[in-house]
Amino acid sequence: MELNRTLVDEKKTPMLRVEELSVSYGQIHALEKVSIEVYPHEIVVLIGANGAGKTTLLSSILGVKAPTSGNVFFEGKKIDRVPVDRNVREGICLVPEGRGVFASMSVLDNLLLGAHHNLVNKDKNLARVYEWFPILKKRKDQVAKTLSGGERQMLAIARALMSAPKLIMVDEPSIGLAPIIVNDIFDILVMLNKEGYTVLLSEQNAFKALKCAHRGYVLETGTIALSGTSSLLLNDPGVKAAYLGA
Amino acid sequence: MQVFIAQILNGLSIGSVYVLLVTGFNLLLLVAMIIHFSYPQVVVFSMYIIWLVLKMTNNNLLLGILAGVSSAVLFNFISAPLFQKIMKNREEVDINATMVLSMAIGWIITDVLSHAFNNGLPIQFPEEITGSRPLFRIGLISILPGQVWALSIGIIVVSGFFILLYKTKAGRAFRAIAEDPAGARLVGIPLVKTGFQSYALSGVLGGLTAVLLAMLFHSASPGLGEQVSHKVLAVSIVAGLGNLTGGLVVGLALGILEALVQGYISGNWSNAIAFVVMLIVIMVKPKGLFGMKV
Repeated sequence: MELNRTLVDEKKTPMLRVEELSVSYGQIHALEKVSIEVYPHEIVVLIGANGAGKTTLLSSILGVKAPTSGNVFFEGKKIDRVPVDRNVREGICLVPEGRGVFASMSVLDNLLLGAHHNLVNKDKNLARVYEWFPILKKRKDQVAKTLSGGERQMLAIARALMSAPKLIMVDEPSIGLAPIIVNDIFDILVMLNKEGYTVLLSEQNAFKALKCAHRGYVLETGTIALSGTSSLLLNDPGVKAAYLGA
Repeated sequence: MQVFIAQILNGLSIGSVYVLLVTGFNLLLLVAMIIHFSYPQVVVFSMYIIWLVLKMTNNNLLLGILAGVSSAVLFNFISAPLFQKIMKNREEVDINATMVLSMAIGWIITDVLSHAFNNGLPIQFPEEITGSRPLFRIGLISILPGQVWALSIGIIVVSGFFILLYKTKAGRAFRAIAEDPAGARLVGIPLVKTGFQSYALSGVLGGLTAVLLAMLFHSASPGLGEQVSHKVLAVSIVAGLGNLTGGLVVGLALGILEALVQGYISGNWSNAIAFVVMLIVIMVKPKGLFGMKV
């Protein structure tokens, strides 16, 4: 827990601050006054069942869906109602649920799409991404639909890295992947965090996610039910019963 | 054999016009997410602008071509906000509403051309753009300079378009939006800006097509756009809606088919026969020969 202590010391200003955010789809309230904070160099996980509002929260932060009320601040600047492409340019990116890889395009084209606003540094970023994901270098001219599920998830993460983000949001990375691949993906997220990236993760696979995250929030039907350090959540009887199958 | 070669050349040159029109139509469908089946009317409007400028400048070809291309780009930019507006009001892309708007644009152009230009009579292009004497004549084959120009411009423009699509940043964004607009937005592709780039590019394609049509047809009438737009819509559906490579193949095939019918059967039957063939194809392959991309 020494790591957590150093993080507490660094906690001066959050990188991302979501303040009482409410989002609705017509009559349905998807999020109700949700507040979360993410500090630099943290891995924060959102835990919750299907339909709890995890994807809505991540896409609202990115600017896909305008909130009905509340604020989102990124590095002190208000970013709700800012278009998605501007937020990407400012350093937020989302690895969407189900990867969102462009299946008919080559691996290299997919990576370059991530660098749409950052083509000046594309060679440097490509070299780094290929170093972290050698398999993508091997497959760079292949069409993305020929990749396996795990490789697609790696491609989606690598594509996000091409935009030189400060905050990487990853939506349900473990969905539809074999357990051994899920471990690889979480190892990658921890490695990226050590490289200096800040990670906001949404997961149904609560145990594995909490094992690699510093802190977590539990979302239940659009509200934050519980929050705290990973060790606290892992030992919480309610969390154990609902999400850890204990 | 000579008839065959002559008609194949004819077919290729008119086919390249279909290819350009279908490509512009598909580009707007894939990237701007509109069904603009009156796009050929915009092209015919540019033909009238070319004619007008040639008349005013004493047949300055360069100015005529420039005016044709810029009028098509300008026209697309004027109609773009209208399309964007109806789509934004619906929160999500509603491709059906765009068809009504396109229809309206088509009819406005047809009416304007019937009343405001040349008393509604067909316009004739000067020899400067069509070429008067055949380049050469062997037996039945006679090749007009306009045909050679049209075919070579068609080849250059189509290959330029495909290079742009597969080798540039804008082309990559076009393809991403075509495959998955929501996903493209998530990775940070600006949808509206890229949509406008596709309007501009289809404008350039349309303006150049107007030049080609002037070279090949030597004349134009207010109803030309409507006739051509039926064929373009049919070609894009037979090829597979939104399928660019399909449009390339089917556009050329239609041109050749029409020319062969004209050469061996009768010019009067070329439209009917072409549409009967397309009817059979669409009954066998309802999603088009090459499959839909949208």
